Amino acid sequence: MGLFQRVFRGSDEMYFKAEEEVNAVIAELGENAPMQMPDTAYFLACCYAYLGKKVTTLGELRDVLTNDVRAMMTRENRTKSIFTSGIGTAIAAEIIEATKYARTPTPYENTQYHGHFSDAEVRELGVPLVTRDIPGFVVLIGPAPSVEEAVETVKGYQSRGIFVFMIGGIIDQVHSAGMTTGFNVRAVAVGPDIWSVGHVISLVCRASFIFGATEAGDYDAFNEYSFKRIFAFVNAYAPVNDITVACGAGAIKMGFPVITNDTEDMWSVPKSLIINTNTKDWIETSLEARDIKIKITNIDIPVAFSNAFEGEIIRKKDMRVEMDGSRVDCVELVQTKEPHEIEDHAIIVEGPDFDAFEHGAKIPIAYIVDVCGKNMQTDFEGVFERKFHSFLNCIEGVMHTGQRDMIRIRVSDAAFDAGFRAKHIGEVLYAKVKSEYDTVVDKCQVRIYTDPEKVKELRAEANKTFDKRDERLKSMTDESVDVFYTCILCQAFSPSHVCIVTPERLGLCGAVSWLDAKATNELDPNGPCQIVPKTRLIDERVGRYEDVNEAVNKYSHGALEEVTLYSIMEDPMTSCGCFECICGIEPLSNGVVIVNREHVGMTPMGMSFSELASMTGGGVQTPGFMGHGKHFISSKKFLKAEGGLARIVWLPKALKEQIADNLNASAKELYGIDNFTDMIADETICTEDPEELLNYLTEVGHPVLSMDPLM
Amino acid sequence: MSEINSSTFITLEEMEAATNRLLETAAKVGADTWQQRTKNQTPHCKFGEEGICCRICTMGPCRITPKAPRGICGCDRDGIVGRNYLRFTAGGSATHSDHGRSIAHTLYLSKDGGDYQVRDPEKLIRIAKEWDIETEGRDIYDIAHEVAETGLLEYGKPFGTQRFLKRAPEVRQKKWHDAGIEPRAIDREVSQSMHMTHMGCSSKPEALVRQSLRAGMSDGWGGSMMGTEFSDVLFGTPKPNDTNANLGVMEEDMVNIIVHGHDPSLSEMVVFYAQDPEMIALAKEMGAKGINVCGVCCTANEVAMRHGIPMAGNFLAQENVVLTGACEAIVVDVQCIFPALGPLSKCFHTKFITTSEIAQMPDSEYIEFHEENAGENARKIVEMAVRNFPNRNKDLVYIPKLKTNATVGYSLEAIKKCLDGVTNSHVDEVGTLKPLVDAVRSGVLRGAVALVGCNNPRVRHDYAHIELMKKLIANDVICVVSGCSAQAAAKAGLLSKEAKSLCGEGLKRVCELVDIPPILHMGSCVDISRMMVLVADLAKDWTEEIDISDLPVVGCAPEYMSEKAVSIGNYVVSTGITTFLGVNPYTKGGPAIEKLLQGDIDEWVGAHFVVETDMEKMCDQMIETIEQKRVGLGI
Repeated sequence: MGLFQRVFRGSDEMYFKAEEEVNAVIAELGENAPMQMPDTAYFLACCYAYLGKKVTTLGELRDVLTNDVRAMMTRENRTKSIFTSGIGTAIAAEIIEATKYARTPTPYENTQYHGHFSDAEVRELGVPLVTRDIPGFVVLIGPAPSVEEAVETVKGYQSRGIFVFMIGGIIDQVHSAGMTTGFNVRAVAVGPDIWSVGHVISLVCRASFIFGATEAGDYDAFNEYSFKRIFAFVNAYAPVNDITVACGAGAIKMGFPVITNDTEDMWSVPKSLIINTNTKDWIETSLEARDIKIKITNIDIPVAFSNAFEGEIIRKKDMRVEMDGSRVDCVELVQTKEPHEIEDHAIIVEGPDFDAFEHGAKIPIAYIVDVCGKNMQTDFEGVFERKFHSFLNCIEGVMHTGQRDMIRIRVSDAAFDAGFRAKHIGEVLYAKVKSEYDTVVDKCQVRIYTDPEKVKELRAEANKTFDKRDERLKSMTDESVDVFYTCILCQAFSPSHVCIVTPERLGLCGAVSWLDAKATNELDPNGPCQIVPKTRLIDERVGRYEDVNEAVNKYSHGALEEVTLYSIMEDPMTSCGCFECICGIEPLSNGVVIVNREHVGMTPMGMSFSELASMTGGGVQTPGFMGHGKHFISSKKFLKAEGGLARIVWLPKALKEQIADNLNASAKELYGIDNFTDMIADETICTEDPEELLNYLTEVGHPVLSMDPLM
Repeated sequence: MSEINSSTFITLEEMEAATNRLLETAAKVGADTWQQRTKNQTPHCKFGEEGICCRICTMGPCRITPKAPRGICGCDRDGIVGRNYLRFTAGGSATHSDHGRSIAHTLYLSKDGGDYQVRDPEKLIRIAKEWDIETEGRDIYDIAHEVAETGLLEYGKPFGTQRFLKRAPEVRQKKWHDAGIEPRAIDREVSQSMHMTHMGCSSKPEALVRQSLRAGMSDGWGGSMMGTEFSDVLFGTPKPNDTNANLGVMEEDMVNIIVHGHDPSLSEMVVFYAQDPEMIALAKEMGAKGINVCGVCCTANEVAMRHGIPMAGNFLAQENVVLTGACEAIVVDVQCIFPALGPLSKCFHTKFITTSEIAQMPDSEYIEFHEENAGENARKIVEMAVRNFPNRNKDLVYIPKLKTNATVGYSLEAIKKCLDGVTNSHVDEVGTLKPLVDAVRSGVLRGAVALVGCNNPRVRHDYAHIELMKKLIANDVICVVSGCSAQAAAKAGLLSKEAKSLCGEGLKRVCELVDIPPILHMGSCVDISRMMVLVADLAKDWTEEIDISDLPVVGCAPEYMSEKAVSIGNYVVSTGITTFLGVNPYTKGGPAIEKLLQGDIDEWVGAHFVVETDMEKMCDQMIETIEQKRVGLGI
């Protein structure tokens, strides 16, 4: 049978399954019953994206299926027909899965499956996608030829940083081998049936909404976005049935090639449908098919090293040793030295190694990375140091949190058993510093100490360096520097967004400070961070510069004409979609509510993070809404035009605690208020009701009440 | 660069408005144009049109009517139509093949450091090996000379058939053998055609049609193929190359030299000397900003695909370039040159320069061009044009603001290279047409159409080419084009990669992945031989080797006019590709001949002609034929 006939048959199958499920759920709950996917502002994202339909009830769900989706499933002998049928199949899949969520918001609770992805999860992918830390996505469908091969393939993808979605038989296979799956390890067991692919397509659509500012209902624009910017592909194990072939047609329309080992009634299509019976060769075949090039850093350590392990959590019971800065002395430090003081690639370990300690011991550690180079600047030391967290976390079986002398590192039993020792921390730091900063670091050595006395001494010394750096950072204000920087790292996904990074306003993703931008510019003068002079000030109050306007105009390719640095109301800075926090004005109190990505609940604005976040992003300017990094909240430039951080009336409790010290210090300095954070409400005080919020603000005498109206 | 910005697409109406504006200039200067001459010649002679007028001996002329169904010698209408058809074919075959012969001569005269050199030694060695010519340890020019001589002998060898036939799939070679249409020496097929049509020789329809096919084959798989292959060896095998098209490529403030005709030997040299710093300095001295060479007709195709020289227009636009009043010289070699250019050029300052003893015309400056004096004469021609710049009458200058982008130069080698880009090194081999086979087998592409041929005042200028192409690509049918058809596409913007926006989703995706326009420019009219090797390789690269006639591919010459085009039609059909003609080849008066050409020859070669003057219908029929072929293949 021809490829087209298979697609048509498969899409019919998916459609009739969807119809059956929708009819069943309507018979059970009635057509007026609400239909809502959890933790998303994009309704049923596929329906919303491709059809522009906001599904909120089961009746609407049925109508979209029987009218719109059916209409897509045309039957002409032209590629257009298999493409629209394929996309229709994906939407039908989303609808089948949605019927489960109509009955309960947690249909996959207590199963091995993940199901629906929250908007927060989609947003979390933003930064690693733009930095190419996640170079692509694979959707694995069906059982692999063997359990060993299933594990090997998933691990193979993980070790290359590819985000893995699993559907069907392969999930049982990897779980039977004891493999951990989950969003944090970038290998997600989506669901048991082929229609769970609807969750993956929903994620793709939302990436396009969030990062690409794609308009709901613009079918072509969604396909173009996924084709050009989402580096996904499908691996479908034999036997591949018609329904999977139909999903494949949808995938190919989206730009995602399908690789299969099924040869029966299968038709190869260049760069789109590739038949390779050697399933062990699939990873490389797939990467080539989707033009994904992986930057491989070969590091001489006994365990794997990949971005996929960045979110890995080591439980206490699985840990061989722990270096805990809150209990014992620990410190990490980068120091600039003279060339003659450094022997390149020397890894010096002084003191007992991990095997000298008993299981679960808390041990002290100091690791000092000495660097030199003609273009090295001491300002870069902190920039490199902040990256240690992600460098060390990429080691399989190692978990790192914190910074400076408040770090915590856990080494798992498995990593230890594989031979992981202290010197390997050195190997990783050496390799990463040399490869990522090769234009400024000529030589590098790592010194590691575990002797308690020595570490104590080094910690004290390091703190002097930290103090000096903090002094310098504190003295570094938007006024004290000569230039700002652009950051267009996100443009791969959000083509019209530009960040302007200043000392007092870091990039909205939280990952790029002014110093980072400066270092990035020196490392790659033609790269994403370009110098923006600040010689032509227009309005000091809102932070409006002619130079800045010219830069955003140029780098947004004309999409943006003007931005201000310090205002949320007048030409606020845009967002790509990967912002850490979203800030929106709360009209009743005249203040602003800030919510971070991790917070799942409601806010007094009656909107969740997802809903607030959907108001902006994709390089769109929306006065009254602004995405930003956590550190910006305590900046003296935060909402400076609107009166500053005294406008903050509500923060999630966890975020408030995280930034309390800095925020209180700034409030003291700006307004002479002590313990300002106590005046800011959180979810323990009020969740949804703005009246309740206002009552609280009045009660504590929040300064916002005496400020001018925002609008 | 011109101040005229390129448009993505240009409509037929915009082009016609521009032509009308130029016709006003013609009226002003009292110039004669083809539009007027067509009116003067209408209605055409009915007997001539139907092919039933015989002037082969002086007993006549004889004309067939119901009252006089036979000529004086007793030849019936099918005999007369068949002979005329064979002579028409032989004329085309001779013309193309003689062009090939001239290129072979040039190759024979190539030398290290000379005006003509071997630019693609790799291709030369490939041909040498194909012809069992020793290549190991030999000087490249020794090989070139032996290949050239061997090629020249193909024209007159006493025994055997054409060497290039071996390029076809075996099943096709057998079909040719069984049908008795394997061409022997090229000149012999032309001579025999003339002999067979002499008074008192053949009048049997089967014999005349069979020889027409064989004479055509000696062109397509003989002379033309040699012309193409040796041109590549001498001037480089075309690679994708960006250029511009339509009249707006002429520059108001530069010396405009138009090269027109078919043989690249001359135009290559003109292009070279137009870049000479001394010549550019002279142009500036004359008050021009520089020298702008543009092409018309197939010479344009040749220099566009090798040097990115812009294409001013096709066959029926040749008078327009002079009518702009901004043409310093129109330099012609052979074929398709209107004698009208002589008197027309006299209405302007334009120098009409003829260069070939084959194409000599009144009212022209004749600078005879030989391979031996190529450089010297080309320089002389360029200088003559440059010195003519101050004579331009500025009041008469009007260059229509029409200009498009085009990517040209998809030789078979280039197509394979592009397709390599979509292979996967883990499963595919490179250097084949297999990716194209896969795209067709899966149905993503429905098939292919080779659109070729001239312009003809019987069809609204370029209408058929452009409208057919648009409809075909919208139906996921990829097009390969050459000659004036290719230029029609270029003028309308259809050779730009942006034309993918006009495609069906399947072809659009292929264009995006392979990074090609949906309509591939394969060269000039001799380069239809490239298309023959393309289909041969496509059949060989099929999952299991099939015959060319099984492929979902058709040929189409909707606006053709020349004898060459009829010769081409004969070899394309003989190769197994059903060919659609938009103009009747003077056979209407011979029902037995028409029955053969438009039906029965299918039994010999697996393909036939379809004559259809309604372009809408023709397009539907082509798509229908393609779909039928797909059914035949079980795809």
